[in-house]
Amino acid sequence: MSDVARTTEVAAVDSPALVKPQRKVKARSTRAMIDRYQWYEVVALYAGIAVFLFFVLAPFIEGFLVSLKPLAQLFSTPYSFIPKNGSFDAYFNMWNSVPLLGLYIFNSFFISTIVTLIVVAVVVPAAYAFARFNFAGAGLLLGMFLAVNMFSGAVLLIPLFRLMRGLGLLNTYFAMIVPGAAFLIPSSIWLLRTYMLRIPRELDEAAWVDGASRLYTLRRVILPLAMPGIVVVAIMTFIGAYAQQFIFALTFNSKSEFMPLPVGLFAFFGKQEVQWNELMAASFVGILPVMVVIVFLQRYLVAGLTAGAVKQ
Amino acid sequence: MSQLSLKHLEKSFNDARIIKGIDLEVSEGEFVVFVGPSGCGKSTLLRMIAGLEDVSEGEIAISGKVVNDLPPVQRGIAMVFQSYALYPHMSVYENIAFPLRVEKLPQPEVDKRVGAAAKVLQLESRLQHRPGQLSGGQRQRVAIGRAIVRQPKIFLFDEPLSNLDAALRSEMRIELMELHKRLGSTMIYVTHDQVEAMTMADKIVVLDAGTIAQVGSPLDLYHRPDNIFVAGFIGSPKMNFINGRVRAANGSTVVVDLGQLGIIELPRTSTSVAGQDVTLGIRPEHLKLGAGQFTLTITPNIVEQLGIHSITYATLPGGEAFTGLFEGNPDLVDGKPIELSFPIASAHLFDSKGLAVY
Repeated sequence: MSDVARTTEVAAVDSPALVKPQRKVKARSTRAMIDRYQWYEVVALYAGIAVFLFFVLAPFIEGFLVSLKPLAQLFSTPYSFIPKNGSFDAYFNMWNSVPLLGLYIFNSFFISTIVTLIVVAVVVPAAYAFARFNFAGAGLLLGMFLAVNMFSGAVLLIPLFRLMRGLGLLNTYFAMIVPGAAFLIPSSIWLLRTYMLRIPRELDEAAWVDGASRLYTLRRVILPLAMPGIVVVAIMTFIGAYAQQFIFALTFNSKSEFMPLPVGLFAFFGKQEVQWNELMAASFVGILPVMVVIVFLQRYLVAGLTAGAVKQ
Repeated sequence: MSQLSLKHLEKSFNDARIIKGIDLEVSEGEFVVFVGPSGCGKSTLLRMIAGLEDVSEGEIAISGKVVNDLPPVQRGIAMVFQSYALYPHMSVYENIAFPLRVEKLPQPEVDKRVGAAAKVLQLESRLQHRPGQLSGGQRQRVAIGRAIVRQPKIFLFDEPLSNLDAALRSEMRIELMELHKRLGSTMIYVTHDQVEAMTMADKIVVLDAGTIAQVGSPLDLYHRPDNIFVAGFIGSPKMNFINGRVRAANGSTVVVDLGQLGIIELPRTSTSVAGQDVTLGIRPEHLKLGAGQFTLTITPNIVEQLGIHSITYATLPGGEAFTGLFEGNPDLVDGKPIELSFPIASAHLFDSKGLAVY
């Protein structure tokens, strides 16, 4: 019995006129009316979530199951989804089959981290400028940024390749970092600019009246308030850099010691057969750093949101 | 010597002239209120004094020094914004201490000044809270605290009470007046609320479309408005205006024909108004029930009983709205004609250009 039910009983005893409605009061919920659901609505909600999650996660589930199976079982007919005598062997053997695997994972992480750092360092002042200063060509520049986003990196691969070759950057980390950052900056500027526009201009003015310089205001006032937006930019950039490095690495780099994981995984494609189970295991281990980063940044996201959510 | 002086101040945004030549002297310790309807340029004028808007023409001098091109902090002003502009991620302490942190004052000095400000504003128990945890009035006080710690020569307030509810507004009004007494500094206060202007100001500056309509003490403006705009703006309910035409002006009296309401003779020395269309002004509170020096009969279509007084709304034969304010609860019913009167001395007369005739 919940508190609500008890208080209703007490109220009913106090005033005889209220005895009748007592039957109608459900003890179930202390929630607001708008948040109350019937049991079948709750079931439907969770069923919907389950279907959606299964749809999204099915490839991951299958991938994980594959990583547990011995290689022979993968080609058995009839195919069985549930591994028989499954083991985590693949997670240990993969390091021997592909000795550079650790380096690939590091490279992926390293490239994405550097891209994220560059993007954040460039985007924060740029977004502040676009949000606060009226300068000639601001609208045109923003429009051009949007236009750049309409070309995917793949369309520009050939010119980029010639550019990299001309600059002597082929087969270096730069070849994967520079184009990666360049393609991620425009959309991030848009995102963070919109976020900064929501910070009242009067805060800048108050700081200015109190003698603060623009940079001091940016550091002490705008950055802390824009932190949730910056974290979103960082997360999106990190994921974006992780996803797009494949195509740049494949085109601009042929040295295996600089290869990021997505390209490095080709090493599991042997001459005779593909080590599917180890490939899957390597993929999961490779995703791990990203998960860690996102979980870590997400805490800041929530903390930042509550700090910035104060009504002005 | 005046502490703040504005000379032929003008401001244009592109082609729009917002401020059209303002001259004003403010002496030290004065509480000056800029009042006017929305869009009259009062906030722009304040922001120009603060240094948040550039000056297009003219000059601003503070303590004898022209400050047109100085940033706000070097002008010796502090400003309280309409939305308070508190930093939501900082504690009340850090909000108040912000200007001192910018100055890089040593911590003991910061502690001392913030402590003193918090004591004046009764915020001592709130110093560690975030602005979001405070009520509207307390946020207002934090914003004032941030202005106080700098020890400015001039405080600027931009409609600071307009975000508060009515009860809190009158409370904060009194607090601000006490603060002004205690600090003795010059304060310039912008509002669109003529009640705030009347109650707080030593000197009211009424602005109308970028120009000064009149400057004077609250009672000056109430009793001797220079023009029809000030007469209509100051006072609540609004002054009644009746259209008329001058029959004769002989140098000692002016005879005004008010159409169906009759003829009124006012003691005025002006002769230039002879034959002009004029406007007679009479404040609702100067009307008395019953016959008197000038008597007219109206039929109120709405009667408001407020306990302390009663207000009637009627339309005159000439089409003008006519409001009456009477003490207590006299027997007034809508639709029932009443006879009322006013003393000749309390009538105002404005010529065809809207300027007062004396």
